Amino acid sequence: MSFEPVVLFFLLGVLAGLLRSDLKIPGSIYDALSIYLLLAIGLQGGVKLASYPLAAVLLDGLIIVAAACVIPLVAFPLLRSLGHLGRADSASIAAHYGSVSVVTFSVGVTFLGQELQDYEGYMVVFLVLLEMPALVIGILLARYGQGKVSWGRLLHEVFFGKSIYLLTGGLIIGYIAGPGGIEPLDKLFFDLFKGILALFLLEMGLVAAGRLADVRSYGAFLVAFGVVMPLIAALGGTLVGVMLGLSVGGTLLLSTLYASASYIAAPAAMRIAVPEANPALSIGASLGVTFPFNIFFGIPIYYWMARYAHGIGM
Amino acid sequence: MSDQPMFLLTIISESVLEDTLIDEIGALGALGYTVSDVRGRGHHGLRRGNWRKDSNIRLEVVGDQALCDRIVARLKEAYDRDYGLLMFTSPVDLRN
Repeated sequence: MSFEPVVLFFLLGVLAGLLRSDLKIPGSIYDALSIYLLLAIGLQGGVKLASYPLAAVLLDGLIIVAAACVIPLVAFPLLRSLGHLGRADSASIAAHYGSVSVVTFSVGVTFLGQELQDYEGYMVVFLVLLEMPALVIGILLARYGQGKVSWGRLLHEVFFGKSIYLLTGGLIIGYIAGPGGIEPLDKLFFDLFKGILALFLLEMGLVAAGRLADVRSYGAFLVAFGVVMPLIAALGGTLVGVMLGLSVGGTLLLSTLYASASYIAAPAAMRIAVPEANPALSIGASLGVTFPFNIFFGIPIYYWMARYAHGIGM
Repeated sequence: MSDQPMFLLTIISESVLEDTLIDEIGALGALGYTVSDVRGRGHHGLRRGNWRKDSNIRLEVVGDQALCDRIVARLKEAYDRDYGLLMFTSPVDLRN
């Protein structure tokens, strides 16, 4: 199995943060990089989606979303009983783990490129579909019908926040344009993708370094949760992937989606809907523990799971 | 502008609240505002400002005492418990 070098940029960023280097990526550059990544992922998915029957993909999507709803429902009682966390904190963390991370998915895609392993291009549709349901479940878990939630503002934040908006927009543009139509743009959006992802990971490393310093204060439980929960979720993803007849690459990406924890859409949504939850706990676990675990160890493990489940062996 | 003494109300809070706070102060009668992205440390820890979810805003409003009092009372009641929020006023001498 070959090693995916882009993840080393994350390490470079973490080290810069820990060593107190003056390296800092300005907020506007971070915004530009994230806009690029979201559009590029959407476009790539849209172009590939054009060659598949849309109805069948959406039907698979329904099954995938329904199965993914189990993740926060498993995480919540674990956090409550084993972690002794309050309801709001447990619900918020469960929502983060049920939702998905675009960058973890992107690292999964580059990993498959490195392995020369093909995958179903429409996986991006599932990335879009999986972002929101867990957030709603998290809010319901936090509220149980008590206290009011400003659903309007929340749904606006989720649907028109830049991640869903640009991913969906890119998907639609890619779908309409098709492989021929997108050609004038492919130098920018396809060829440069890995380099831009590397820069983004450098920034993620810097941000994560700030969270790592706090990891000690979360306690061993949350660190263990940040490693074990993605493994459980990835196992579920592997089973669903095989059940739906996805390829090895598609199964890996689905288990990566299930295993990933959101640290962009979920924190904003939870801050609005469940403000009493401590954001340091959920962002710390998802970004400080689960994100690095997934990109360094998780994805190769999920790849092994996918190959094993497809009978290819170790 | 009226002849009453005017105040600059400065509100420092979390970026995630930007749209909400702007709606609130508009509903309470503020005619205008200025927003800037800022970073720093407070009761809610260090806010590095290197990504949107980890940054603060400084929202500035100029108005009379009554407007400032209304805004402070409303924001204290609704947001002070769960969000990072710092508010202070200073007298200003409007020149135009």
